[in-house]
Amino acid sequence: MLINIYHIIADNWLLLLIGQFPNGPLGGIAATLLLSILGIGLAFPLSILVALARLSPWPVLSWPATALVYVMRGVPLLMIIFWVYFLLPLLIGRIVPGFLAMVCTLVVYEAAFLSEIVRAGIQALPKGQMDAARALGHSHLSAMRYIILPQALYNMIPSILSQFVSTIKETTLGYVINVPELTFAASQINNQLLTQPFEVFFVLASIYFAVCWTLTQLTNWLERRIAAKRAGRGASELLVVDGVAVIKPETVQEVRQ
Amino acid sequence: MIKFCDVNKWYGGYQALADINAEVKRGEVVVVCGPSGSGKSTLIRTVNRLEEIQSGELMFDGQNVHARMSGTQLNRLRSHIGFVFQSFNLFPHLSALDNIMLSPMKIKGVDRAKAHDKAMQLLDRVGLASKASAHPAQLSGGQQQRVAIARALAMEPPAMLFDEPTSALDPEMVGEVLAVMRSLANEGMTMMCVTHEMGFAREVADRVWFMDAGRIVEIATPDKFFGNPEHPRAKRFLSDLRTRH
Ligand SMILES: Nc1ncnc2c1ncn2[C@@H]1O[C@H](COP(=O)(O)OP(=O)(O)OP(=O)(O)O)[C@@H](O)[C@H]1O
Ligand SMILES: [Mg+2]
Repeated sequence: MLINIYHIIADNWLLLLIGQFPNGPLGGIAATLLLSILGIGLAFPLSILVALARLSPWPVLSWPATALVYVMRGVPLLMIIFWVYFLLPLLIGRIVPGFLAMVCTLVVYEAAFLSEIVRAGIQALPKGQMDAARALGHSHLSAMRYIILPQALYNMIPSILSQFVSTIKETTLGYVINVPELTFAASQINNQLLTQPFEVFFVLASIYFAVCWTLTQLTNWLERRIAAKRAGRGASELLVVDGVAVIKPETVQEVRQ
Repeated sequence: MIKFCDVNKWYGGYQALADINAEVKRGEVVVVCGPSGSGKSTLIRTVNRLEEIQSGELMFDGQNVHARMSGTQLNRLRSHIGFVFQSFNLFPHLSALDNIMLSPMKIKGVDRAKAHDKAMQLLDRVGLASKASAHPAQLSGGQQQRVAIARALAMEPPAMLFDEPTSALDPEMVGEVLAVMRSLANEGMTMMCVTHEMGFAREVADRVWFMDAGRIVEIATPDKFFGNPEHPRAKRFLSDLRTRH
């Protein structure tokens, strides 16, 4: 069995890595990562807009944004893949390749989820930050741009990375519309061999696990670093406070008395 | 300069401000005090419209603050009113210098070099020129509050509002913040300060407003107020304050 796994990898590593590229479309783990990066990368700016719209005082903006988030949260990703793949061609009058349909789906779906992360990040900031910005005369948007978002987005980096990990796993669903990604490559191999589904899908699972585990470790590390950075500043604050307390004349007098 | 005419404010069914009639004249320093929950923060926050009012009129420098106006007009009005918070509310992702430079640059369109000079001048004035590049978390409470005052001054407001600027500070840092406020007052800044620092009020204030249950129940000079308050609630408040200190 280990021998079988070895042979599967030895014979198909290029297919698992980049699919039939350059003779065919890019596939394998390269396509999986590309899908995820495009999905999250394009969803990210969109998610900020959705979050700002949801939090905005104007119902014309907050209602559609809220509706989008609720629909995306309430409907399985597979349904949305089907909608995009089968309905989009009807609307625009031409066939949409699986890869493009999958990217579009991921962008909309992830934008909704990321926007909830962004919204939580904004709302987690102390209310005094917005008060101070408004008191200085910043408009709502100016306050968001220069004061609220820079803090919120920095705090959110780990959450965004873990959403990226979820996205990698979600790209497997592209299989149903023949997107040539990693799962698709594995199932091609399985169809060739016919007799070793356990070994093939074990290899597949291992690859996903290795990639996602690495990224999760990176997320944890970043999370600790960001927390440490806050705590580190806090510690230096204590030091300064102590320093002042020690050298202040009143304190010296108190000690003498 | 700041004039309240029959101002009333409700939070739902709860009346937080009732029939407020009072005025802060140009160059005057008014200290607002009163027991917790009496509406001091609410009152001071209506001046730059961080809180809305339900009836009455509030004039600032000849402008009706709570009149119907566009967001842009309101932002411009707010930029003319300096506000200092109990909890400092510095922007933690920016250095002390950038905290001060941000608003003049983004709101008034001052160029970077001018904003920088002005900010350094202000930091020097509050005694923190050496801390220009420090982030708020690297500063003590007293230092943070002084930067916050400098940040408000950078917009060159004709009046400054302070909401318990020293209440969140350790006792040994209160003095450094009061010193900055005192020097502002001596330069003729119009100031409205919510504070329980009696020494500061006696020395600097032109008038004391005493609030209770959403009303201003006594307006007097500091000597009169601290020496011989009229309202029974004020008498009790002062004796409580003295026993606490
Ligand atoms: N957002 C709000 N919603 C409902 N009630 C509020 C709100 N903000 C304040 N209040 C109430 O209004 C009253 C006045 O509050 P305010 O904060 O102005 O008091 P204060 O005099 O500043 O007190 P403190 O000395 O504790 O700061 C309080 O009874 C408070 O509970
Ligand atoms: Mg208060």
